[in-house]
Amino acid sequence: MRNPFIYLSMIALLLVGACKKDSTQEIDTEYPVIDISSTGAFPKQCSTVKRGEKFTFRAQLSDNTTLGSVSVDIHHNFDHHTHSTEVESCTMDVVKTPVKPFLLIQSYPIPVGLANFEVQQEITIPADVDAGDYHFMIRLTDKEGWQTIKGLSIKVI
Amino acid sequence: MKKIFIVLIPLFSSIIALAQDRDTTKKSPDRQLKEVKVRDKHIDIRKQEESLNVEIVTPAFIQRNLGGSLMKTLERLPGIKTIGIGSGQSKPLIRGLGFNRVVVVDKGVKHEGQQWGADHGLEIDQFAVGEVELLKGAASFVYGSDAIGGAIDIKPAALPAPNTFGGSVDLTGKTNNNLYGTSLNLYGRKQHWFFDTRATYQDYGDYRVPTDRVYVYDYVVNLHNNQLRNTAGKELNLHLGTGYVDERFRSIFYLSNTFSKSGFFANAHGLEPRRVDEVLHDRSSRDILLPSQEVNHFKILNHTEYQLPGQRLELEAGFQHNFRQEFSQYVNHGYMPPVYPSDLQIPIDLEREFDKRVYSLNLRDHISLGRHELKVGANLEHQDNKIYGWSFLVPAFKQTTAGAFAYDKYKLSETVLLHAALRYDYGRINMFAYQDWFNSTVTTDGVSTVEKLTRAENLLRTFNSVVWSAGLNYNPEGSFSLRANLGKSFRMPIAKELGANGVNYHYFSYERGNTQLSPEQSYQADLSVAWTTDRWSVQLSPFFNYFPNYIYLNPTSAHDYFYGAGNQVFQYAQSKVNRYGGELQLKYKIFEQLSTEVLGEYLHARQLSGDKEGYTLPFSPPASALFNLTWSPKIKGSLQNSYLSVDYRITAAQNNIVPPEKKTPGYNVVNLQAGSKLMAGKQPLIISLQAQNLLNTRYLNHTSFYRLIELPEAGRNIILSLKVPFQFKTNQ
Repeated sequence: MRNPFIYLSMIALLLVGACKKDSTQEIDTEYPVIDISSTGAFPKQCSTVKRGEKFTFRAQLSDNTTLGSVSVDIHHNFDHHTHSTEVESCTMDVVKTPVKPFLLIQSYPIPVGLANFEVQQEITIPADVDAGDYHFMIRLTDKEGWQTIKGLSIKVI
Repeated sequence: MKKIFIVLIPLFSSIIALAQDRDTTKKSPDRQLKEVKVRDKHIDIRKQEESLNVEIVTPAFIQRNLGGSLMKTLERLPGIKTIGIGSGQSKPLIRGLGFNRVVVVDKGVKHEGQQWGADHGLEIDQFAVGEVELLKGAASFVYGSDAIGGAIDIKPAALPAPNTFGGSVDLTGKTNNNLYGTSLNLYGRKQHWFFDTRATYQDYGDYRVPTDRVYVYDYVVNLHNNQLRNTAGKELNLHLGTGYVDERFRSIFYLSNTFSKSGFFANAHGLEPRRVDEVLHDRSSRDILLPSQEVNHFKILNHTEYQLPGQRLELEAGFQHNFRQEFSQYVNHGYMPPVYPSDLQIPIDLEREFDKRVYSLNLRDHISLGRHELKVGANLEHQDNKIYGWSFLVPAFKQTTAGAFAYDKYKLSETVLLHAALRYDYGRINMFAYQDWFNSTVTTDGVSTVEKLTRAENLLRTFNSVVWSAGLNYNPEGSFSLRANLGKSFRMPIAKELGANGVNYHYFSYERGNTQLSPEQSYQADLSVAWTTDRWSVQLSPFFNYFPNYIYLNPTSAHDYFYGAGNQVFQYAQSKVNRYGGELQLKYKIFEQLSTEVLGEYLHARQLSGDKEGYTLPFSPPASALFNLTWSPKIKGSLQNSYLSVDYRITAAQNNIVPPEKKTPGYNVVNLQAGSKLMAGKQPLIISLQAQNLLNTRYLNHTSFYRLIELPEAGRNIILSLKVPFQFKTNQ
């Protein structure tokens, strides 16, 4: 009964191999963070912005290593097809057909090599766009390509 | 017993292929038992003469472990996993490689669907398959491009025995998704002419998970009756095989059409949270609303072979038409117009459509020359791919591939077999330009203009490849055996990798192809050592695999607001990749009627260069081990082949991830199988009962399509299958 021992030790080796932590190189597995909890952050879930006026998009961005880029997308949600990523639901207007909905797709630069950054960008809502329910989508990447998405429900009045 | 085998093998080997399950119904129990053993032996012989790692699955295994789809059923085998979506769709993953890196061969012809999509299942009817051969390792030398991870070779159902007329009815019910299904088979054969028909119908409702609430990001989705909204589906498959068979010549036509329609979880489309009318959805758990998919796969194949002295010629010719439609509400992502234009001809809910027509031709000659068994062959395939729908991912393209190979199996001695193979392939892909149907806003130097973006340009690429394989089987007298293989495989880049320049809005990804990609190459070493005695069997199969240029969709840190409409740029790139791992199979017969089995698998992958150096590859299955205990009582009376079996699978956590994946915790799942063949008078009934996820464990599957939105896997599922074979006329 010599053979079974050889095989059993091979099995043991395989199992040890299976349990071994990959310690050769640390890889980053953390997503970047979009923080809109501070009092100065804007917009927040269910915030309201006015047509014909400017507002400042302000959020705290951070990553355990290095931030990549941030992108903002404001699009209508008059048909209620999509949902925000947030816990809280906002009061929605009735479903309606868009006539001239506001659309903004914009990337904002983050200075190279930062782990923390407060984004502050002025956004103007034209006076002639449709009022109603909109989504304010923030997409943030880090250098390794991890992306965090925050979809906020906002109202344009 | 050995003598009985020696007598039986030549006697039965010629009719094994013809007999299988079918002609057992009218025979004495004594003879049936012997036949089962002989059939196992033919599998053993096949394994002893193949230098690649091969697993062979019989229809009985499928009946016993019946899952939601063929691949789900095969997932019990070590090294085999699936990428699944919902309860009825899944695609194969062999040692962590899937999509276009695994070839599925159905009745000798490469099955071509839309393999590149994680949410696309395999269009195969599991009731209609005969034996399934799973080859792990560098199998390109036989199967051509794509067989990098291995091949799943689905054999046709065995031919009916001469002068028979009969069939069978399969009935299946599942508690988790309230599935009911049936498969009806009817066959007949005179001496030389035969027919074999089958119709399968399955209808299922939304599947249940062990939770009443899931989170899409932080958005709470309450589940009605624990059901994942809109994951119902149905399928209808029709098959006809007919032809002429004699000792020297056979020519068989296989005609089949598989159709499936299934819904996607309604509260999220991809990674995008969706607000749904819950009242509408929860009215019925069986309706299929949006988003959904419909797939029809039509096939006509001919297999002809002719036996000459010392050689056997084989020919396969086939036509396949894969037609896939994905339906979703129109949502104006990016720069798409807020109101769907009334003059656009594309139906408003037709998001994507793929129309693939494939023409295949295979030629093979098996030549016996003394100690050499030579196989030479050629494959030719032409594909015509069209697209439609309001969303763009992959351009239309035509593709032609041609390959020729020679494979020699040399019997060095009674115990040593040597294998050598060489193959040449030529491929040509011709992609067609695609332009958006809507305007995007383009800002250059502060001036905004609008234009319809060109998503793909006309492109012609040709590829050449030489691959090889060398192997050895060592089967000395006694209990030990060894297999070793070293081989090179390749894969032509697909249209999506070369030419895509589109936004996958549901994934917030802008996928940018690379027209300069070279054919992916892979070198793999396989070893398999086995030790078998009457009570013990152990098999250990480690492998090592190296890719100098693995093609990989790399999520970058950039956003693109021109072509990408503000989405993260995912760029196709090539990097060096190392992979290793293995499987372990251990069987031990505790008593005559009680046996235990341990199946283990481990895989490690690592990118050695490029932007994701140090990271693994996407969809890498975590290590797992399956512990089984089977009781096979010999009951006197009308019960035969009875079994009661418990599977306990331990799956490790997967913390080795790559963007955009998430770490997946480990889990333990218990499955039960029981079954028997009983005689109701003269009528045999084969009953199989399963309890999958017996303890209703809530867990996440790392390779599930729904993993990224944290949807748990199906809860407890009791499956009852009944097979009633019948014969109107026997060959006695």
